[in-house]
Amino acid sequence: MRTARIALIFIAGIVTWLSGAAQTPLRVAAAADLEPVLPPILTAFQQATGIHAEATYQASAMLTTQIENGAPFDLFLSADLSYPRRLIDAGLADAAGTADSSTPITYAKGTLVLWARKDGGLATPSLELLRSPALKRLAIANPDRAPYGRAAVASLKSLGLYDALKPKLATAENIAQAAQYVDSGNADAGLISLTSALTPRMSSSGSYFVIPHDLYPPIEQGAVIISKTTQREAVHKFLDYLLSPSVQAQLAKSGLTPAK
Amino acid sequence: MDWQALLLTLRLATLTTAILLVVAVPLAALLVLGRSRWLVLVEALTALPLVLPPTVLGFFLLVLLGPRTALGRVIIGVLGHPLAFSFSGLVVGSVIYSLPFAVQPITAGFAAVNPALVDAARLLGAGTPRLVSTVLLPLARRSIVVAAVLSFLHTVGEFGVVLMLGGDIPGATRTLSIVLYDQVESFDYAAAMRTAVALLTMSIVALVAIYATGAGRRMSQGDRRG
Repeated sequence: MRTARIALIFIAGIVTWLSGAAQTPLRVAAAADLEPVLPPILTAFQQATGIHAEATYQASAMLTTQIENGAPFDLFLSADLSYPRRLIDAGLADAAGTADSSTPITYAKGTLVLWARKDGGLATPSLELLRSPALKRLAIANPDRAPYGRAAVASLKSLGLYDALKPKLATAENIAQAAQYVDSGNADAGLISLTSALTPRMSSSGSYFVIPHDLYPPIEQGAVIISKTTQREAVHKFLDYLLSPSVQAQLAKSGLTPAK
Repeated sequence: MDWQALLLTLRLATLTTAILLVVAVPLAALLVLGRSRWLVLVEALTALPLVLPPTVLGFFLLVLLGPRTALGRVIIGVLGHPLAFSFSGLVVGSVIYSLPFAVQPITAGFAAVNPALVDAARLLGAGTPRLVSTVLLPLARRSIVVAAVLSFLHTVGEFGVVLMLGGDIPGATRTLSIVLYDQVESFDYAAAMRTAVALLTMSIVALVAIYATGAGRRMSQGDRRG
């Protein structure tokens, strides 16, 4: 009898564990450039409000596809405005509770940099480096699905270098992987996000050059609420937190320009 | 249809299959004819890619064999470029990734050959190379076909390694499975459907062909008629 009871408790425990019956966290779909930035903000948010939030980092287009196909996110932090707009137009997302419920909430602006390892044997990053024959592989994010990739291609086109550099481009899944391609030495240089370049790891191993902002359309990063969320109140708390002056100042230090 | 990617995928799969057959036949012969107890280790290592996540392989090739390690610099010295973002890198990845799909059917085929025939050949003075080429290979030829088809298809279907290591370069590393992924991610579902159907058709046709020759069925039953 005793053994049977213990076995029963054990099985119940396993079933609970398998069914994942715990409190659902706030699920955030976040653009890959936020990977170095968001984790401490999520931790501080939990300390301040008791709300546990978890983020998934991917290229913005990939997250959009996932949301279109019913991924259980509550909030989408894109690296541009077009993907959030696309979700609003499809009736899957909204910005209810803000000034304009049909416009994504701009929470930051991104900066594109040219980054190279210090031990890579190339000159310190500058626009000249892009013209250098010593540059064999330039990592960028996929322009079809990552806003930073789009900005990279736009910059190269503004400089009239796109056709010449096209055979040298290594296209990464998202901007975080582009950073990985250069950091691991597999590409000589990369057009990556300032958020990656400012991480302790990459700022010690390499140096960066800020691509002039007039070379590419601004990387305005927009947030939208996924309409079928069951945690709308928590989402708003997080958005208010993200837009608060202290967190915006923290974003500025991490490589994102504050929204306002 | 992305013909460049289709041709690239076929070239990758053909080259990988050719290399694998050259590698797998001696390996299978060693596993079947060998007596050393260390062979268990060899057998386990050849089966490893079956259970290993492709991401592990991608990581090793990208970082441990990348330009930042001594081994990686040797590779760059030989090839003139890193394994990452190159067709040769994909070949290396695919050969490792599809190794069990070549070794296991051939090992099973060799093992199914009547041991009396192997003993007879030995008694008649055949050395191992002759034994393999005149007895094992002809009797286990169906298993060679199965190994070739499975290695080919598995390479065509490779995705994780290519995604981590490829850099999506048209004509060098953009394979059909990556094209399909790109098409889905850029919301071009009509093109994605065409690519998916092409991949599906290729797999079904090849599998039906091997089962129709009886090779697949015999393989799965462990036929010992030799």
